[in-house]
Amino acid sequence: MTCAEGKWSRFAANMTICFALVFLFMGSMPAHAKPGILSKEDKACLECHAKKGVSKPKAGGDAVSLYVADKPYSESVHNDNGCTDCHTELDVKKHAKADNKKLGTREYSIAAVAVCRDCHKKNVKLYEDSLHAALVRGGNSEAPICSDCHDPHTTRVNSATGPMDDVICQNCHGKIFKAYASSVHGQARNKQTGKLPADQQKAPICADCHRSHEIKAAATEGRIKNACLDCHKGTLILHKVWLPNAERHFEAVSCPACHVATAKRRVDLRLYDSVTNKAVTEKQGVPQFESRTQAADAKGLGLDALALQSLLKEFNREGAEGQTVLRGRLEVTSGVEAHQLVARSKAVKDCDTCHREGADVFQTVTISIARPDGRPLHHGAQKEVLTSPISVDSVRGFYAIGGTRIKLLDYLFVMALFAGIAIPVGHMTLKWLFRRYLKNLEAERSSTQDDTAQH
Amino acid sequence: MEKIYVHPLPVRIWHWINALSFILMILTGIQIRYIGVVNLMPFKAAVDWHNWIGFVLIGNFFIWFLFYLFSDKIKVYHPELSPMKHFRDSFRQMKYYGYGIFKGDPNPHHVSVYHKFNPMQSMTYQIIMLLIVPIQFFTGILLWDVERFQASVNFFGGVRVVDTVHVLAFIFFVAFIFIHPYLASLGHTPSAHFKAMFTGYEEID
Repeated sequence: MTCAEGKWSRFAANMTICFALVFLFMGSMPAHAKPGILSKEDKACLECHAKKGVSKPKAGGDAVSLYVADKPYSESVHNDNGCTDCHTELDVKKHAKADNKKLGTREYSIAAVAVCRDCHKKNVKLYEDSLHAALVRGGNSEAPICSDCHDPHTTRVNSATGPMDDVICQNCHGKIFKAYASSVHGQARNKQTGKLPADQQKAPICADCHRSHEIKAAATEGRIKNACLDCHKGTLILHKVWLPNAERHFEAVSCPACHVATAKRRVDLRLYDSVTNKAVTEKQGVPQFESRTQAADAKGLGLDALALQSLLKEFNREGAEGQTVLRGRLEVTSGVEAHQLVARSKAVKDCDTCHREGADVFQTVTISIARPDGRPLHHGAQKEVLTSPISVDSVRGFYAIGGTRIKLLDYLFVMALFAGIAIPVGHMTLKWLFRRYLKNLEAERSSTQDDTAQH
Repeated sequence: MEKIYVHPLPVRIWHWINALSFILMILTGIQIRYIGVVNLMPFKAAVDWHNWIGFVLIGNFFIWFLFYLFSDKIKVYHPELSPMKHFRDSFRQMKYYGYGIFKGDPNPHHVSVYHKFNPMQSMTYQIIMLLIVPIQFFTGILLWDVERFQASVNFFGGVRVVDTVHVLAFIFFVAFIFIHPYLASLGHTPSAHFKAMFTGYEEID
C-alpha cells in the first residue's frame, strides 16, 4: 500500500464513522415532531391531565385547573416540546405530593414567562417593554401575560393574526373590538377572512397597528399615526390636494378625529418637553400631575387660563426656562370611537367643522401628561383657555384659525372697523355742517379781495 | 393750475396692485377668520386666494422697494432729522385736518416732486412700509406653511403668537383701508389725488 492510498483509506474510514454517528444521533432524538404524535412521557402526563375537571386546591381560593386537552395539545406548535421542557420544576418522585398549593394559575403563568423566554427571547423582550407588561408589573390583575394570549397547550402558528373570531384581543377589549369589527377596516377584513391566508390580508387587524408584543399606549406620539401611514402611503400628498397646511393638520389632528365623522372630539393639551422633543412623562413613584392640577383647580370646574398658566410655571420650575410647553392635539374622546373608522368618502372634509366659532371640537379641553407606562393622565380644562388672551403664551402650540380665535382681537377688529368708517363719516359730517360758514367766509374773502383790487 | 409729475409709473402700478390686493386680502382674511359669520366664499377658496394674493403682494412690494432704492425719488421718504421740526409740522398738519379744513384754511403742506408727503404721511408710510407690511408678509409666510417654518414659528413663540401678530396688523389695515382713501379725497377737489395716482400728475396752485 502506497502512502497516498493509506491516507485515502483513513479518510474514508473517518467519514464512515462520522455519518454513522450522525444517523445514531438523529435516531436518538424524540419522535414527536409531527402534529398529533406525542411522546410516551407526554402521553403518560395526559393520562391524568387530560381528564376533565382535574384540579388542585389553592390556598384560600378556588381550585386551580390542571386540565390539558390532549388533541389540541397534540396539534399545537408546542407538541414538539415535552411537558417537562416547560414544566421544568417538576420532580417526578414528588409529583402530585409536593406542597405547591400557594400558586394560582395567574401567579404560575407570570412565573412561567421566564420559561417562554428560553425559546422566544425576542418576543418576550418586546413584551417586557410593552404596556401590557408594565401593567402586570404595576399589579394589574387583568393585564395579559404570555399564556393569556397564547394558550401554551393549544397555540398554533400566528393565531393572533388569524380569522377575526380567533382574535384574542377581544377577550379584554371587547367594546373596542366590536367598534373595529363594524369599521371600514373590520368589514374589509371580514370579507378577506377565509379567502386569503392571514399574512396576505391587507385590511388591518389589531396587531397590525398596535403590534402583537411591543404594545405601547395608543397615545404614544406618532405611533398609531405612523401605523396608518405605513399602509396608506401617499396619503399626505392626497391630503395636500385639498387641505391647506396638510402637514400641520397631520401633526395636530389625529386620524380618527376626521375619519370617524360622528365621534365626539376634544382638544388635548399635552405637556411637552421642547428641549428633548418628547412628551413629558410622570416620574415613576413621584406623581406630580394630579396634585398640581388639583391644587390649581380647587373648585374642580376645570383649569381656567390663569390656572393653566400657573400650572405650566410649576412644571417649568425644574429645567430650562420655558422647557415644558403645551402641545395641542385634536382627538376623539374614547378608544371605542378611535376604532369606528369610516370609508374615506364619509370622512370630515368641511373646514368649518373645526374652523368656525363655537365648533363642537373645541367645547371639551383636557390637559394631559404621559404616565410612566405611556398612557395619558388627563385633567379637564375650561374651553375658554383656547380663546383667552392670557393663553397666547401658555397654549402657544395650538391654534385653529377661526375656531379658537382670541375674543379680545375680535373686539379690536370691530373697533378698527368702526373707527375706519366713523372717522371719515364724522369728518364729512363736520365738513357738511361747516359748509354755510365756509361759503360765507369765501364770499367775505372774495368781496375783501374785490375791495382791495378797487382801491 | 400747474401740474407736477409726482407719481412715477412703477409707483402707480405698485399702488393700484397694492390697493386691490389689500382689499382682497382683507375680504378673504375676514372670510377665513369669521367663517360661519361671513359667508362670501368657501373657507378653502378663501385660504387659497389669501395665499396667492399674499404672494402677489410680496412680489409687488419689491416693485416699490427696488424703484425707490435705485432712484433719487427715495428722497420723498427721507426722514426729517429734526424731531422738533417734524412734530411741529405734524401737529400743524393734524390741526389743519381737525380744525383748519372746516374754516377754509389752506393746507400747510405744499406738494413738490421730492416732497410729496406731508409730515404725517411721511411718518405713517415709513412705519407702514418698513415695519407693519414686512411683519405682515413675514407672519403670513409662516402661517402659510406652519410645518415647513416650524423652527421659526417656535422661535417667535408659537403659532398662536404669530397669528396674533398677523391679526393685529390686519386690524390696523382694516382701519387704514377706510381712512386712507378718505384722506386722499381731501385735495383741492375730492378726486384730485385719485386722478393723480392714475396720471402721475398733481395739480398745484
